[in-house]
Amino acid sequence: MQPETLAWIILALPLLSAAGITLFTRRNAGLSAAVSVTAVAAAFVASVLLVLSYRGLHIPAGECLIASVNWLNVGGLSVELGLRLDSLSNVMLLGVTGVGLMIHIYSCGYMAGDPSYARFFASLSLFMFSMLGIVLASNFVMMFVFWELVGVSSYLLIGFWFERPAAADAAKKAFLTNRIGDFGFLLGIIAVWASLGTVDFLDLQRALAADPQALGAFASLAGVLVFMGAMGKSAQFPLHVWLPDAMEGPTPVSALIHAATMVAAGVYMLARSFFLFELAPAWPESLGFLSGISALDVIAWTGGITSLMAALMAVQQSDIKRILAYSTLSQLGYMVMAVGCARPEAGMYHLVTHAFFKALLFLGAGSVIHALHHEQDIWKMGGLRSRLPVTYWTFLVGTLALCGVPPFSGFYSKDGILAAAETRPVLFGLALVVAALTTFYMFRLVLVALRGEPRDAAASHAHESPSVMLWPLRFLAIASVFAGFWGIDTALKRGLGMAGASGHEDHGGFLAGVFEPFGHAPLAAFLGLFATGIGFAVAWTLYGSHPVRDPLPERLGPLARWMRDKFYFDEAYAWLIRCTHDALAAVADWVDRWIVAGMFVRGLAGATDVAGRALRLVLTGNLQTYAFLAAAGMVVALWIVVL
Amino acid sequence: MSPLTWILGLPLLAAAGLCLVPRTSKGVLRTVAVAVTAVVAWMAIDLLLGFATAPVGRGGYRFVQQIPWVESLGISFFVGVDGINLGLIVMGAIVAFAAACVSWEIEDRTKEYYVLLMLMTGGILGAFASLDVFFLYFFHELALVPTFIMIGVWGRGERRQSAAFQITLYLTLGALVALIGLIALYLQSGVRTFDLVTLTDTLAANPMPAARQYFIFPWLMFGLGILVSLWPFHTWAPLGYGAAPTATAMLHAGVLKKFGLYVLLKVAVPLLPEGAKEWLPLLAWMCLGNILYCGWVAMRQRDLNQLIGNSSVAHVGFVFLGVASLTTVGVTGAVMVMVAHGFLAALSFALSGFLYRQTGSLDMGRMGGLLKQLPFTGTVMVMAMMAGCGLPGFGNFVGEMLVLFGGWKSDLLICGGWISFRWFVAAAAWGALIVAAVYMLRAVREMFHGPIGETWRKSNDPTGAWRRLPYVVLLVSLLALGVAPRLLTDHIEPSAKLIVDAVERSRPAPHLATAPGHPIP
Repeated sequence: MQPETLAWIILALPLLSAAGITLFTRRNAGLSAAVSVTAVAAAFVASVLLVLSYRGLHIPAGECLIASVNWLNVGGLSVELGLRLDSLSNVMLLGVTGVGLMIHIYSCGYMAGDPSYARFFASLSLFMFSMLGIVLASNFVMMFVFWELVGVSSYLLIGFWFERPAAADAAKKAFLTNRIGDFGFLLGIIAVWASLGTVDFLDLQRALAADPQALGAFASLAGVLVFMGAMGKSAQFPLHVWLPDAMEGPTPVSALIHAATMVAAGVYMLARSFFLFELAPAWPESLGFLSGISALDVIAWTGGITSLMAALMAVQQSDIKRILAYSTLSQLGYMVMAVGCARPEAGMYHLVTHAFFKALLFLGAGSVIHALHHEQDIWKMGGLRSRLPVTYWTFLVGTLALCGVPPFSGFYSKDGILAAAETRPVLFGLALVVAALTTFYMFRLVLVALRGEPRDAAASHAHESPSVMLWPLRFLAIASVFAGFWGIDTALKRGLGMAGASGHEDHGGFLAGVFEPFGHAPLAAFLGLFATGIGFAVAWTLYGSHPVRDPLPERLGPLARWMRDKFYFDEAYAWLIRCTHDALAAVADWVDRWIVAGMFVRGLAGATDVAGRALRLVLTGNLQTYAFLAAAGMVVALWIVVL
Repeated sequence: MSPLTWILGLPLLAAAGLCLVPRTSKGVLRTVAVAVTAVVAWMAIDLLLGFATAPVGRGGYRFVQQIPWVESLGISFFVGVDGINLGLIVMGAIVAFAAACVSWEIEDRTKEYYVLLMLMTGGILGAFASLDVFFLYFFHELALVPTFIMIGVWGRGERRQSAAFQITLYLTLGALVALIGLIALYLQSGVRTFDLVTLTDTLAANPMPAARQYFIFPWLMFGLGILVSLWPFHTWAPLGYGAAPTATAMLHAGVLKKFGLYVLLKVAVPLLPEGAKEWLPLLAWMCLGNILYCGWVAMRQRDLNQLIGNSSVAHVGFVFLGVASLTTVGVTGAVMVMVAHGFLAALSFALSGFLYRQTGSLDMGRMGGLLKQLPFTGTVMVMAMMAGCGLPGFGNFVGEMLVLFGGWKSDLLICGGWISFRWFVAAAAWGALIVAAVYMLRAVREMFHGPIGETWRKSNDPTGAWRRLPYVVLLVSLLALGVAPRLLTDHIEPSAKLIVDAVERSRPAPHLATAPGHPIP
């Protein structure tokens, strides 16, 4: 089949599943799950076929296939419902449908017995549809459309247990925070369209290649505005606050949406529209103080700050899902930083490997939570190695991959990012600190939660999860180990039209591939490993003896409290919103009630009333008065006419 | 005979016919009303589908029919559609059908109620179908009077008398101010005709002196603005809709209110281009009042109807912004918002009316967990609220997006060019994406999420296909517009372009000619 046809099928399947479950099968839990899993499985198979047939066409690097129908055409604004196929979207397609399939299967076990089982799968299918839409979108407006749909499906899934106030609040917070990013994203799209007259990625890229000055003074501003969208979706500082709260959703949702796919959409978007950020810095006159700073600088520093801050916060969390959530934030910061260092393929590579091992870690955490009857505090766990063997070993694989231990996939992708940052010493140092912190908090998690002796009755009675949940763990563990050798990086380079990616890069055999980073960028590789070692050593010293309480707060003092309380961003934002937006609303409401409705309208009504009363005085019923008034009126009229 | 004549005539005939039905046969009254509106809706959809292939008649309008009436004054019965009123007629007909469907809640004086409902429907559709300014205004008044009576008689709440009084006062005032403007236009045009096509052609060839346009335009802008709840003349809307019976709120907020916008776009702007250029910057300021200020007011509401009312006022601001931008994209977006918002406002008021019938209160603080108790109503309401905060997939998104895109390219000068129109677009985008999301999601959080509130224990979803039909019809219409916007935009765009070109062609105002600005491509 043609790749284009397959792409339409891939996009349509989850939508049909979501609609079908909502309209027809929602009363039948088992059937709904079957529909949803079948749809995503078929989408995965179609993606594999698509990639195979795409390869068969031998499309050169930087080129792509586009299938589209016109969606909107008004004035100078033409928007296609377009699907773009190149190596970049192919890699994402495989990643999203592959991880999605694992998580769908896992959910069948994890969500069993939930009264809203069908609604869960309908929302999950809606999410898959929206996410695949982002992956395939061929222009900015379509991406924005699916971007918003991803936001709303995330809202529905975070708030899946909407009777719980915490979940309902978290859903609202996630949506609103994302909306702030989308505000910038939309304005950025409009600004780009207004200057270049198109929203299509390919046309924009060509226009900017032909004339890099085409955006004029808006070049950097448009880049930063578009980047705001990524800041929201990929939870970058300062819009990072929603992601940890999003852990109120069911764990498979955290794995799929808030670790592997949706939050990665921001990085994908940055890679997709990278041509926009490469432009030389140019700011409008009113923002002249920013001159010399390029959009990429903003992106790199945002990513760097996010990764460090989130890693620090992760160190002092005690909820297993929140530790992973902050870790996700930190890794997303890594990816964004790589894009900012002008190496989008490094960011994308880490995105893909991270999708595998972070999904694995979340599903493993879900398996632990499931076994402990929804206990999430790591200080009430322990001793799970022998009780949950599959979960333990796969979780360990995920941890090693995340920490960047060779030959696990995370090592290669993280090495790419460190190598990208080498040219910026401060960011490079920061990235190394983050690497050490990552190993530290992950082994803190493993040592406290999984090893040692049970600290709680629930932990000592834990049983391994059903096999429908364990097989996805095994598959994802395999992917986490080997994803570094599948040539994902080469494919990404080709998709991004990078130089030197047109031919088949020969690694010279498997072993050479394993050690390639040490020859390619030795500084980054060795320092990265060194940082990992330090992190592990510190974690082992502090937690290797299986303490009952966290020894760290005593050593760090107030800093530990700041880290635990997330540097008080939530409180600061709540205060800021209360002082600005809520205050404006209160003022507007007061003015509306007392000035506009009160004085003007009542005043008008009152004036009418007074006029009515005054006129009533005139209507005395006395003939002489009427005659007098008539005569007076005639005199006045005559006076006007004559003079 | 033009199908338009049937579309506006059938409800009026039904109103007359219902007078003959004995008041005891409630079933007949209701069946006739639902059947007639169903036929009208079906004809309107047929009109939409046949629009592209229909022969073009006078002045570029299709499905034209003209019958001279008072020739000495230049009044004729003249109907026809172009891209601008096509969507409005289809939307009006569908909303009328939904309104007739939800009217089962009326139990006393049903005969009078249905007669008035049919009269209102006929008036609304007549107002949008007419191409004769006299009939345009006449049909609007024909629809407006039943509104007042229905609020006063079948309205709800303790404040319904004062609400009916305020809405009457406001709308009559607005209609009167607009009437002065229309009469001035009629007298000053020099052709002594109410025929819109003749007026347009004449004034395009011999424009009115700019000074006169500057004088006439504000009468129309403010008069029509009052009818559409332009800030700061908006306070009647939430109050009135809160007190109105469900069907009346649906028809007025959804359809009849668009009359002011429609006449502004169809009559005031193209016939008085100089006046428009002079006054539209002020309109741009005022529409920010709608979008931001009323959005903030909506954030503070505790009562669902007040929230929907204020949010409806806020959405109207996007239409004003699109009109003020004077670009093809912006004006097309404005028309799209008009149509989509019609469906959305009707749907929101239909749902809030249903909830009110269930519990007798719309205090959001006492609600909660509604999605568990009323899954159907809750789901539809959440979707309506998502449409209200501009989610793609619903027609509102397309309209608001087009308005923002068009606005960015507008070269309208605000404060002599000191403030770029782009700032207005940015502010409106903030209103669309953030403020709207804040109040909508807060409402969803309070009403639908959380533990089940005490008022819901005995409530039930509407049962049976007929009871659910009106909500489904409105929701499907919104989705259809959002998924396939070209259903309408392809027809709107040429008509919008004519209006924009008419303003462009007019002699540039002195300050526009000298000021630096981007040329319109």
